[in-house]
Amino acid sequence: MDSLLPQLLAFPPHPSPQPPLSDSAYDEGIKAQISTLRKSSEKTLRQQTSGGESPLDVINPALNTVPYTFILIAYMSAYSKHGQKVIKLESLWDKITIYLETFDARQMRYLGPEFIDVCDRAASISTNAGQRALCIAPIRDALLRLNPSGSVLTGLHIYLIKYALETRSYGVIAPIVEKPVLYYPGANDQLKPKYLCDLSLSPAAYITINSGFLSKLKSLDIMEYFYNSGMIMIGLRRWEDALDCLESVITYPAKEGAVSKVMIEAYKKWALVSILAEGKLLTLPKTTSSSAAKSYHVLAKPYEAVAQIFETGTASRLKAECDYSSSLWQKDSNLGLILQILNAYQRFQIRNLGKVYSKISIPELLNLTMSAETGNKLSGPNEMEALIRNMIQDGSLMATLSNPPGQPAVLAFDNKGPILTEAQMKAEFAAAAARISRVTQNIKQTDHMLTHEKEYIAHMKKQKASMSKFGTHDQGIGGEMDWNVMDDEELMTGVY
Amino acid sequence: MAAVTIPPSSPTQSRKKSNIVTGISQDLLSRKLSSSNLHLAGPPKFDLESYIQNYKGRTRLERLLLIGSCSSFLGVDAYKAAVHEAKHGKDIKRYLEAQTPLETIAPQEPEAVRDTQWMDQQSKLNEIQTASLEKQLKEYKNNLVKESIRMGNEDLGKHYQEIGDLPKAFEAYSRMRADAASQKHIIEVSKHLIEVSIEQRNWIGVTSNVQKIKQIQATPDEERSLQPYLCTADGLALMDSGGYYSAALAFLRTDAGMGSSYNTFISPNDVAVYGGLCALASMERSELNRSVLENSNFRTYLELEPNIRRAITFFVNSRYTACLNILESYYSDYLLDIHLQKHVDQLYQLIRSKSIVQYFIPFSCVTLSSLNEAFAAPGKTVDKELVQMIQRKELDARIDTQNRVLTSVSSSSRATLHNEALKTAKEYEREARRRIQHMNIVSADLELKGGKARGSQMGQMGGMDDLFSEGMGGGRELRSRAYIG
Repeated sequence: MDSLLPQLLAFPPHPSPQPPLSDSAYDEGIKAQISTLRKSSEKTLRQQTSGGESPLDVINPALNTVPYTFILIAYMSAYSKHGQKVIKLESLWDKITIYLETFDARQMRYLGPEFIDVCDRAASISTNAGQRALCIAPIRDALLRLNPSGSVLTGLHIYLIKYALETRSYGVIAPIVEKPVLYYPGANDQLKPKYLCDLSLSPAAYITINSGFLSKLKSLDIMEYFYNSGMIMIGLRRWEDALDCLESVITYPAKEGAVSKVMIEAYKKWALVSILAEGKLLTLPKTTSSSAAKSYHVLAKPYEAVAQIFETGTASRLKAECDYSSSLWQKDSNLGLILQILNAYQRFQIRNLGKVYSKISIPELLNLTMSAETGNKLSGPNEMEALIRNMIQDGSLMATLSNPPGQPAVLAFDNKGPILTEAQMKAEFAAAAARISRVTQNIKQTDHMLTHEKEYIAHMKKQKASMSKFGTHDQGIGGEMDWNVMDDEELMTGVY
Repeated sequence: MAAVTIPPSSPTQSRKKSNIVTGISQDLLSRKLSSSNLHLAGPPKFDLESYIQNYKGRTRLERLLLIGSCSSFLGVDAYKAAVHEAKHGKDIKRYLEAQTPLETIAPQEPEAVRDTQWMDQQSKLNEIQTASLEKQLKEYKNNLVKESIRMGNEDLGKHYQEIGDLPKAFEAYSRMRADAASQKHIIEVSKHLIEVSIEQRNWIGVTSNVQKIKQIQATPDEERSLQPYLCTADGLALMDSGGYYSAALAFLRTDAGMGSSYNTFISPNDVAVYGGLCALASMERSELNRSVLENSNFRTYLELEPNIRRAITFFVNSRYTACLNILESYYSDYLLDIHLQKHVDQLYQLIRSKSIVQYFIPFSCVTLSSLNEAFAAPGKTVDKELVQMIQRKELDARIDTQNRVLTSVSSSSRATLHNEALKTAKEYEREARRRIQHMNIVSADLELKGGKARGSQMGQMGGMDDLFSEGMGGGRELRSRAYIG
């Protein structure tokens, strides 16, 4: 091992030279190093140093990510074959977590298959130890370090979220779930960056099937991922985000009017969550296909009925409706959400009263609202006051409660909502602008990818050929057609 | 003031209550009036005799029957008059409608005895006449003389109308159109049809025929004489469909000097009442002043109904309570009108809520007691009504039940605008992301596939079509759709 070490640590040069290595030199160096390491056998890699130390203790994963990765894999594979004879589980796990939290993301771009291997093995080690939840946080951090915008969906996402659901680690996985997924395996293969190490690249350019990070997924996997993300967000009671995730499922693009069961189930959840978020059934997103919308309305009738009653009906009717279909909710495993809805009914009623009253006493509130959980009024002013306090505390009601001496408590609604200061407003606007400019970047990237599609290029060629043919017949339009003219769709279809 | 004569002085609540007392259920009032169940006990303000003098033709009978069925005060008299009226005509069904109730409510009256002899005689007579007219028409048709065929149809239509077979009358009149030779004929056809349609309550028929007449280029003279006719017919149809503002405009356009020329369906008094109420229910104060009170044409009609004029004047002068009191005192009269009956509650409701809104406009804060004083009956409150109005978003205010005041909502436009802007940005972001997501799913060939497998080439194309048919924005996508299409 001692002979091997200098070779392993040769790249990247440390301390980093001034000026830093050019992208091409970096690319060359790291590729050479990787090809050497891929050839070395596991046994060689596991050799101890002359001092009797394990190479894992000698090498710093943050600096020399490449050799560390290979040595770690060698140990992990040995562990899975020979068990704790080779390395103690605790120390191996320590190494894995430190590695996943500190690796150098630039070097990692070259190590797609190895990265996936480490993560898979880490997951299976924790599973075998009966501690599946433990692998979620390190892999999550690793993914976010590799792909800070989280915009590329990987196979890791898909099983990680399943683990999180199984182990109810909703909060742990949330940082991944809340990142919008934009790119999918197979979509970004046209992006063939010259140097993977180029720091200006977007994650979509270096996390590809070619670089070994991605493997082909099925449409069902993706829908399941979004569905599960929706469940995670429901678990966290982040209704807005849950709606967003579920909308990705219900608007999932389909050919020939196909609708999947996952989409239907997602719609049911979406309908219930939209009640919890907005107090009513929202209109379907514009991108929903019409055949899917049709199936939703037919297959999720009871859910839409609940929404309608929630909006316009009485507490007792809502309770009756929910009780009546309780076996259905159970079958669809939506009973939890239904109970949430029953609980939310009175809160919404109270909030809506804020649109009519500016000040109202607790006894009056007691008379005006009903609890859908019991189908009756609350038992007394104290209970009502507790509910109001609860609502004010969790921020769902903008109001103040006062207790005039000798009189029942009075609730004063604050109709203006939270008033932001100028500075806060400015910050909000700046954040929105930044988000939109990021989206614009994504749009450009997607545009770039689409223009490099094989089909698109083939059409362009055909187009050009037929254009020049036309040019000879038609004196008016030259062979080289102006893009502005081409923009006119009607004209184009006319030509065809 | 005249208002004192009828107890429920204004609010809906109290009126409904009084209705319950006289045996009307609430849902009847809510515009599903089946006239036979409605009973008004109080004496109306008009004299039956002089009221019915305003009308001519079948509408007299219709109005009498309605009054008979709805007013217990005038009921017997109205039915009796209706029996006489019916016996002068040929419509046996109508006779029975007038005579049968009399058997129960006033069996001692001579009119209550069913005159079977007259009925037999009349029905035979009707049959004979129908047959002879049909035969005559057939002969005309054989002779192929257009003018005779037209006249034949007209006679037949008139006959059917008289005996009460309105669908057949409508048919016969419609047939006249085929043989109409001059503009005058076309106008005649439409006028007949309008009349039948009004009786059938076929308002679509009325509107379409009004349009047909309007399309004709008539001489100025003709136009002048037709103008009130068209306006009033149009107004009736619009009022029935609930378009009170358009109805008001139609009635207000009516030229002066209509006289009794259209009294087969409307009298000048009606024009004033319908136009006035619709305008009150749908116009702002300045518009009311401008287009109702200062409208010289309409003034001639308003003079016939001074109470309506007074109500409008009060409203314009912001004396809402006085205005509502006048209207309230005429409430039962309007319920006895064949065209108004269905709408009177809604019109009153609109006027009432408008009054409250107008009353509130100049204030930022009003005590509930002053509102009650202005709009509620003694001992009643307007609280519930206010709540409903706020919920319907008619009134932009909040109620403070502790200090008993109604406060207007002050809006901070800057904050609203900022929030709007943030919301729009968020929506854009979300939408754009979703579109990118979709494009990438499709371009990765990951979209959900249907059951039927197609050729791979076709599949690809289908996929592209799906992508683009979702209406992706952006020049490039549209362009590529053009190529593929």
